[in-house]
Amino acid sequence: MIRKNLVSLTMVFALIFGGGLLGCDQLGGEAQLIITATHVHKAPTSLDDSVWQKALGVLVRVKGRDILGGQEDTVFTKAVYTEDNLYFLFQWMDPTRSVTKQSWQFDGEKWVHLPGNEDRIALLFEIARINKFATKGCAVTCHSPPDEDRERWKLATKTPAEKGDLWHWKAARSDPYNYADDAWLTVAGRPSGSYRETGRIKDRGEGGDVRNQTEDKARPRFMQNPAKDPLVPGFLLMDEAVIITDYSIFKPGDIIPYRLPKKPSGSRFDVKALSHYSDIGWTVMLYRKLDTGHDDDVIFNPKKRYSFAMAVFDNSGADHSKATTPLLLVFER
Amino acid sequence: MEPSMDRTGNSSETLLERLGLAGLVARVRELEVPSDGLTWNRFCGSLLFVLVVLLFLSGAFLAFYYTPAPGVAYDSVDHAQFNIPFGDVVRGIHYYGWNLLLVVMGLHLVRAFLVGGYKPPREFVWVSGVVVMLVVPAFIITGDLLPWDQKGYWSTQVRNSIMATVPVLGDFLVRMLQGGPRTGIVALTRFYVLHTIILPALLVFLIGAHLHLLSHRGLSSPLTGANTARKRVPLVPNMINRWLVLFIAVTVILGLVSWYWPAPLGDPADPTDSTFVPKPEWWVLPLNQLVAIFRGPLTAIATAIVPAALVGLIMALPFIDRSKEQHPSRRKKILLLGSAIAVILLALAVMGYIEHHLTPLE
Repeated sequence: MIRKNLVSLTMVFALIFGGGLLGCDQLGGEAQLIITATHVHKAPTSLDDSVWQKALGVLVRVKGRDILGGQEDTVFTKAVYTEDNLYFLFQWMDPTRSVTKQSWQFDGEKWVHLPGNEDRIALLFEIARINKFATKGCAVTCHSPPDEDRERWKLATKTPAEKGDLWHWKAARSDPYNYADDAWLTVAGRPSGSYRETGRIKDRGEGGDVRNQTEDKARPRFMQNPAKDPLVPGFLLMDEAVIITDYSIFKPGDIIPYRLPKKPSGSRFDVKALSHYSDIGWTVMLYRKLDTGHDDDVIFNPKKRYSFAMAVFDNSGADHSKATTPLLLVFER
Repeated sequence: MEPSMDRTGNSSETLLERLGLAGLVARVRELEVPSDGLTWNRFCGSLLFVLVVLLFLSGAFLAFYYTPAPGVAYDSVDHAQFNIPFGDVVRGIHYYGWNLLLVVMGLHLVRAFLVGGYKPPREFVWVSGVVVMLVVPAFIITGDLLPWDQKGYWSTQVRNSIMATVPVLGDFLVRMLQGGPRTGIVALTRFYVLHTIILPALLVFLIGAHLHLLSHRGLSSPLTGANTARKRVPLVPNMINRWLVLFIAVTVILGLVSWYWPAPLGDPADPTDSTFVPKPEWWVLPLNQLVAIFRGPLTAIATAIVPAALVGLIMALPFIDRSKEQHPSRRKKILLLGSAIAVILLALAVMGYIEHHLTPLE
């Protein structure tokens, strides 16, 4: 009898301690926003696929900096993953659809650049750990004002051991080919071909865009091949462009795109995209293999958690963005 | 005496004889232990033994990949956990193993208390067991910093600040542990050396002493038929086989738990990010709550006086409760005292849990 009572008492203690053990919070009091990727067996194939209903949506706050200082917005974010791929769905308010970047317009005498840029969303993950990225996010890696001292330039890591994976969806330059431009970050000092030297390097492969201008930069060099129907109406793709031989065919008011998307391939084409613009804003789906097999990409292991940051750009060609604080991607198992 | 040789000149001795181990092996084979040393209702001691072995083995695996330098330490743990086959399982076994060790150690203490296991002639078996219990938290405290993640780093900061409030010795202890004013590379190296060399050596010595006293003074008697002769079985192979079965069972269970709920590895430590508020582990909640109650000039009550008094009381129990009565029904006063202390600790733990784990951060 007494032995049974002792065993019962022991079990009660085991339950109390065991319950405490299971109930204890494992990761401490971090205030990071967590995006949980829900495991699904069927991959979403569209922006309104019913699979997305299984994912928990999170409103992620993005804050403006520099000239956008004081402005705030939100990006409704969902994530799901299958055995092979990770899918993100982003929705954010944007009253204007900006998909042309400095197009040419013929005014009857000369060609001039129209104002206007593009909407974008960018994600940054760590390929190899970036010091303090998990706690400071974009503040340690991303853009700085153009007049910043070189030593303080961002969009770069501080050491070669640190590597970032940059996914950059651009409404004018990558969306026509349904992808987000895939690049990676390392130390500054390598010309990337962009407006100034940064640590941003394009992944291996083709992609990006070609500036549609003659050598003297006075007028466009290419136009839509009249023998081809545009693959993506409203855009002039490099594959469908022909050199203009006779400028007299243009009449005042004619518009020709300035940035011509190039057909992507290779590692640069790892992050696929679908998008839709409604009257109130963008819905963009980005998806990628968990492991692309490329050393310029982060490998997603569903057992791990990943710090990342996000920025949205509204009709912007510069680093004027609204960005998040560090976010955490975890995989539901 | 010269070893005998056959006509071909070969020695007729066995390998054990040649190594001089034959006598030792024979003595080990002759060892006998009570057959109820590991049974369904007396398993805590054996389970603790198995868990310690498991923690040593899994710790050795982790040490193969570990680099004790800030920043790199995190990457090395990350690498061991996520890139090495079954690394997550082994780290999980290490992580859940010490949690389970604490639980089973608590049960072991409670059981020994209830059945009067500290009664003569086993007073020093009890005392040595309590000393072993005091070493285990030191393992956890030193091990917590090693992954160099936010939780480990900031928990260490909190613990150091609590330790610094201990009168006279506090500041000195913190300096000794940190090797300087900050928790940096020297502190990490010291914690690593403590965790992997000094504390394991100390634990092995203390467990050895505990087992020596146990073999000398015997297991606590059953509450019924204390004077009847107990059946004994050979240590080898009977008890060893039981331990082996227990070892495999615990490994499989902890391995499965680790597979489905991987051991946590937070964000890399950022000493400049003072916004991170670490939550106290479940086992330290009572002490943490005491610190929350006794603030300012009274802090030493929570950090030194109460813990020291509690440890002193537990250690001195065999010399306070000197009656020969073993049966709980005839030791109501001491059981009442023990229950009162347990209830207070539990209440403090619940209060701490509500404050730190259920109350949202402001």
